[in-house]
Amino acid sequence: MAKIIQIEQLTKIYHLGKVKVEALRGVSFEINTGDFVSIMGPSGSGKSTLMHIIGCLDYPTGGKYFLSGQDVNKLNDDQLALFRNQKIGFVFQEFNLLPKATILRNVELPLTYNNTHSKNKKQLAVQALEEVGLGDRLKHRPNEISGGQKQRVAIARALVNHPSIILADEPTGNLDSKTGQDIMKMIDKLHDEGNTIILVTHEAEIARYGKRIIHLKDGVIDRDEVIV
Amino acid sequence: MILQSLKIALESLWANKMRSFLSMLGIIIGVGAVIAIVSVGTGSTQQITSRIANLGSNMITVYPRAARGQGGRVSSVSSQEKFSLELTDYIEKFCPSVIKVIPVKQVSGRLISGDINVNATILGTNINYAEVNNYEVDKGNFISENDDGERRQVIVLGSQLAEDLFENDNPIAKRIKVNYDGQVYMFDVIAVMKEKGGSMGGSLDDQSYIPLSVAMDKLTNSDYVSSYIAQAASSEKASTAVNELKNFMAKFLDDEDQEQFRIISQDEILDTVSSVTKTMSMMLGGIAAISLLVGGIGIMNIMLVSVTERTREIGVRKALGARNVHILFQFLMESLNLTSFGGILGIGFGWAVAYFLSQYGDWPMVIAPLSIGLAFGFALFIGIFFGLYPAMKAAKMNPVDALRYE
Repeated sequence: MAKIIQIEQLTKIYHLGKVKVEALRGVSFEINTGDFVSIMGPSGSGKSTLMHIIGCLDYPTGGKYFLSGQDVNKLNDDQLALFRNQKIGFVFQEFNLLPKATILRNVELPLTYNNTHSKNKKQLAVQALEEVGLGDRLKHRPNEISGGQKQRVAIARALVNHPSIILADEPTGNLDSKTGQDIMKMIDKLHDEGNTIILVTHEAEIARYGKRIIHLKDGVIDRDEVIV
Repeated sequence: MILQSLKIALESLWANKMRSFLSMLGIIIGVGAVIAIVSVGTGSTQQITSRIANLGSNMITVYPRAARGQGGRVSSVSSQEKFSLELTDYIEKFCPSVIKVIPVKQVSGRLISGDINVNATILGTNINYAEVNNYEVDKGNFISENDDGERRQVIVLGSQLAEDLFENDNPIAKRIKVNYDGQVYMFDVIAVMKEKGGSMGGSLDDQSYIPLSVAMDKLTNSDYVSSYIAQAASSEKASTAVNELKNFMAKFLDDEDQEQFRIISQDEILDTVSSVTKTMSMMLGGIAAISLLVGGIGIMNIMLVSVTERTREIGVRKALGARNVHILFQFLMESLNLTSFGGILGIGFGWAVAYFLSQYGDWPMVIAPLSIGLAFGFALFIGIFFGLYPAMKAAKMNPVDALRYE
């Protein structure tokens, strides 16, 4: 299978005042197209840092990161923004919807930044919202819907550009367990439909939805476990 | 991309209507003030200049100054007594830029018609007075050369005076009594003047006019006049005429220091008035421009607050693929929208204020397109200038930090 992500000896060092924090200390792994990988670890393990780098939100201090064969370290800010727009669909713990915009506008947002024609934009956004079962809530605002619905809007927003990977950062962290399960089932279904999914979590139960779990501890890979 | 930034900016401004309006207020008031002040300045100047021009054509008035002595002694001959009738001809002769000189003898007396009596100024003058003053006859004919030559006791009434004495009756050919200095003279009314309004020395409408010869020989029995009205050949020659008059009078009165006479010209008044109003409008316009600037600082303040408050939103937008320039334009558009809407509302506001003030002050409403363009352009400039720093701050944010922002 085609390798969508190749990571070699990735390091990330933060300087917080005089304190040097080594968040990643040489991480290497590959992810194939269509995989469902969970990155798991306790807080401080470096999983958020890793997610930011995979999500093209941040540059690593050292090592190499190839996304779809492209060396991400060699991209400038604008190219990185384009990569985020086209290759990655984010699903955040805090949903991160724009509170004053309607659900439709929220889902249209990624399309706004790649100059999709406004007519297609609406059509694509409505389609994505229908996929997550919110086709009847287009004109609602985020404060008018439940947490589970918000996360479904976020998933629709992640899907609307047909990204190469869906990057979910603790997607169930702000939800009750029943709703969390619904969301995980939805993500699972997206995987079944052929999407590549990277799930970042500290909960073992949630991580179990993945077909492979990368255990991260103190900035290095502790264990790379394949679920049969 | 600009169109799209505009759309995003409009949405976010609409979402914060009250705040947007309040931050616009500075610009609205600033632009409004500039437009209103410039309009009031030009309108009132126009009104004053047209009033002064209305007084007459290129009129220069020469008055004697009150007699002044030195060290407690009264000067031997009052300069007033040197203002003789003959001087009229000399002035015309020696001042080439002056085309006409009209002597005026001014007295006050009581006009009596039936049982109505009115105290009024009586001007002894000649046929040219009405012409030089742009003063028109409503009914009858103004004093003629024959009236003057034959010392006819005829009188011309100002419009207000005619109304006071005769109410609605036609005063022409009526006979009135004039009580001057205890003596009573009979006068025939030969004309009533049109309404004219204010002038340099009170309203012309309250005055009456008689032949100069009657005023000098019959009423006062004196051989000097109260003042001369000189008409310059043209408005360009007015200042030359003033200088000629000054030189002539100084020589004639043997008065190097020009203490015994006073010359007031229309141009001089016009210059003074327009320089005063110009200074005033420049000063007020400057204050208004400062208020625009303060409005701009207010906009910057609001935009900085807005950027900080929406750090999370900026992070999300960047995560979803917004480039730095997208964010820059979004915030720049927001401040530009604030100032341009503020500018448009300010134009309306200034227009309304200028309208009401012009109604109140009774001057023509003049809105110079230049002042609109200038104020609006300045508002746009302020939008860009004061919006740039917050927008750059937003655009430069690191997406990870922005997303983490609580």
